Amino acid sequence: MEHTAQGSSDLFFLSAAEQGCLIGRRALSPVELVQAYLSRIERYDPVLRAYITVCGDEALAAARNAEREIVAGNRRGPLHGVVFGVKDQLRTCGVRTTVGSKIMADYIPDSDATVITRLKGAGAILIGKENLHEFGKGGTRVFTYGQPRNPWDPKRDPAGSSSGSGIAVAAGFSSASLGEDTGGSVRGPAAACGVVGMRPTFGRVSRSGSVMYGWTADTIGPLTRTVEDTALFLHAIAGHDILDPLSSRRPVPNYTAALRPGLKGMRLAVVKEMSQREGAHAEVLRAFEKALAVLRELGAEITEVSLPWTRHAVSLNGLSSDVDVASMYLPLLKTRWNDFDVGTRTRFAAALLVPASIYSRAMRGRAVVRRQILEALRDNDALLCPTGLTPPGIIENNHEHTIARPDSAQDLGLRAGTHPFAIANTPALALPMGFTQDGLPLSLQIAGRPFAEATVLRIGYAYEQATTWHTRHPDLDRTLSGFGGPAKIASEQTK
Amino acid sequence: MKLSRRQVRDIALTINLEIPEAEIESVRLRLAGMLASMADIEHELGTAMDNTEPIPPVYPHDDFLE
Repeated sequence: MEHTAQGSSDLFFLSAAEQGCLIGRRALSPVELVQAYLSRIERYDPVLRAYITVCGDEALAAARNAEREIVAGNRRGPLHGVVFGVKDQLRTCGVRTTVGSKIMADYIPDSDATVITRLKGAGAILIGKENLHEFGKGGTRVFTYGQPRNPWDPKRDPAGSSSGSGIAVAAGFSSASLGEDTGGSVRGPAAACGVVGMRPTFGRVSRSGSVMYGWTADTIGPLTRTVEDTALFLHAIAGHDILDPLSSRRPVPNYTAALRPGLKGMRLAVVKEMSQREGAHAEVLRAFEKALAVLRELGAEITEVSLPWTRHAVSLNGLSSDVDVASMYLPLLKTRWNDFDVGTRTRFAAALLVPASIYSRAMRGRAVVRRQILEALRDNDALLCPTGLTPPGIIENNHEHTIARPDSAQDLGLRAGTHPFAIANTPALALPMGFTQDGLPLSLQIAGRPFAEATVLRIGYAYEQATTWHTRHPDLDRTLSGFGGPAKIASEQTK
Repeated sequence: MKLSRRQVRDIALTINLEIPEAEIESVRLRLAGMLASMADIEHELGTAMDNTEPIPPVYPHDDFLE
């Protein structure tokens, strides 16, 4: 079964760059664009559950304002008038920020996160707050604001924790999204939903105004339909912020200027342990080999590197970042235990009981694994592996298990493709690299040196331009029909 | 890693966290898994960890200036 594009020229599936060009030429009205997205959200989101809150009136008002400014000759730049959603972990002034929890259901911030301020300053229009795993951690069993579903097959997991951010971009519910990535929460949903997602270097993008407490690993990054769009959105949100003391003062390069075809002279290395693990899906491995062939044809020199310690990345992230996050929720766990999802509260409780001596040793372990990854990057411009070693799984099968089953180690390993670059705090890009025979998206991951986002984006762009995967979009009438038919959609809409 | 439910309950009480009986086992399994994974990491990386400071990688990475 192949879900071909139902017309990639459709307004809602155009790239943000294309939309921005049309808006700049006054061939497309921002109001028309917002209305197109609101219409799609109304029709399909009752099943897909990408959004927790849709800011329809505010978005239309912002679109009218953008239109007035552009008509008056005051176009702010390439993102003026394009539409974005954000993971509901980022504070939005006057719009509730639930963090996916019923505990936060009525929390309405009085200021925007820095990244939202910057996107609004660039003229982009906020359309809504996107669904996520509770408090931005994986493992949610019951989603308070509806079960997020994969637009390519709604029985499948869209991955997390920025689930709605991946769905919205893939389903044509926004021009782009912002997600948050501690261990893989941007790249995982990007991979599962067949879009582009980037974890920037820690410090490249301000964390101010986000509800997240993994202070040594949390990053905010874009999810988009093309690499060029990721470059545009990253450029808009990157840079020092006085409100985030760990944000870098380095100048922000012009990422789009780095995008060009051809990779002659580039040295890339396949990470052996992240590309050949037992249990990897055959179609993933075949697609990855084909992706490597494309990169070679583009002029890249590709070798293999062994990074055996990356297998500890998931555990080390759990023993450090999970502890940091859980410690902030102890007061709420004491008073509102039952208002947490069972997956979240048991994960947090376990993290809270990790001895300080283990936490300290885990931080040392992170530094050791990071050093191994950085050494590999001294000799290579970037590292390569599949973003995930299996296609998106059935939702019920993907529920996080307690770590006691015999196959748990393998299970964790197969899901570990994003964590090594998170604990190393290097930039990493996930982008489409094909589809299974059943039409499920597959994803390539490219990781670079600290602050070398431009190099990572250049490699991704060259690959993307040499392939057509990014031009495919899910035909929602077809995929959701198989899930329950239009009647199901209609009945959900009346609820 | 051997860890009993009672131990989990007692450790939780040191931070005044009462875990419902029905969920003690889930927490126990998770915590035991985490501690077991750390034992595995110590076995493989322990010496290197002894010689590495636990500095979070959150500072500018000047050795990779482009």
